[in-house]
Amino acid sequence: MSKKKNFPTRLAAGLLLAILIDTALQLVWKSAVLSLPNDGSPWLNVQAVLHSPLFIFVIFLMACQFFNWLMVLGNADLSYAQPVTSLSYVSVFCLSVLYLKETTDLIQIAGIVCVLAGVWFISQTDHVTHSSERES
Amino acid sequence: MMGQNAIGVLLVVICALLEGVGQVFLKKSVLGAVRWYLWISFGVVILLIETMIYSQALLFLDVGAAYAISSLNLISVTFMSRCLLREKVTRIRWIGVCLIFIGVSLVAARA
Repeated sequence: MSKKKNFPTRLAAGLLLAILIDTALQLVWKSAVLSLPNDGSPWLNVQAVLHSPLFIFVIFLMACQFFNWLMVLGNADLSYAQPVTSLSYVSVFCLSVLYLKETTDLIQIAGIVCVLAGVWFISQTDHVTHSSERES
Repeated sequence: MMGQNAIGVLLVVICALLEGVGQVFLKKSVLGAVRWYLWISFGVVILLIETMIYSQALLFLDVGAAYAISSLNLISVTFMSRCLLREKVTRIRWIGVCLIFIGVSLVAARA
């Protein structure tokens, strides 16, 4: 395993925020899509999107996610930051079980353990590739 | 004629590929590239197209299934980071990515 360099607090905060926003986005987006009229007309759907508070909120979350993500990318490799934000799978799962009272089983728990292990492996690598290290 | 699930899966797979390309463009914009605004603009356009396609996919698939298949984003982004950005993707990082992919698939398979 490669030796880890100093991990910036700003990057840690950015990654945490990215996970939180992604979790909210997944839950709100589905509700927003289900609230659209299902009449097959793209124009009416565009009008509905522009007047739907849920979609406006989705767009707001996406904008926040975008600017935060640019800050994260300025401090870390894309191949480092993107997998770490997969922790949102864990948070969505936990919220579903704790607050929506969805049932769970051993297979799902094994999946969550795999995600956590995967993120741990990635956290053991350097968060940034310096110009001299770029692979040819 | 493709079933609704198959259409949904195909749309989410297309989204995964677009995500890889869009993210590489965004990363290019913060690497101090000349004409960074072009990289960011193309990246945003690609991600917007992905968003529209993903919204359509949610009409065909449960959010759990769509979210699980969209974990292909990880493979796509890691592969493109290695090939297009020449990032140092070590074996440890690949193991992590594969574990996350398996984990997400297990969670979603039971959703």
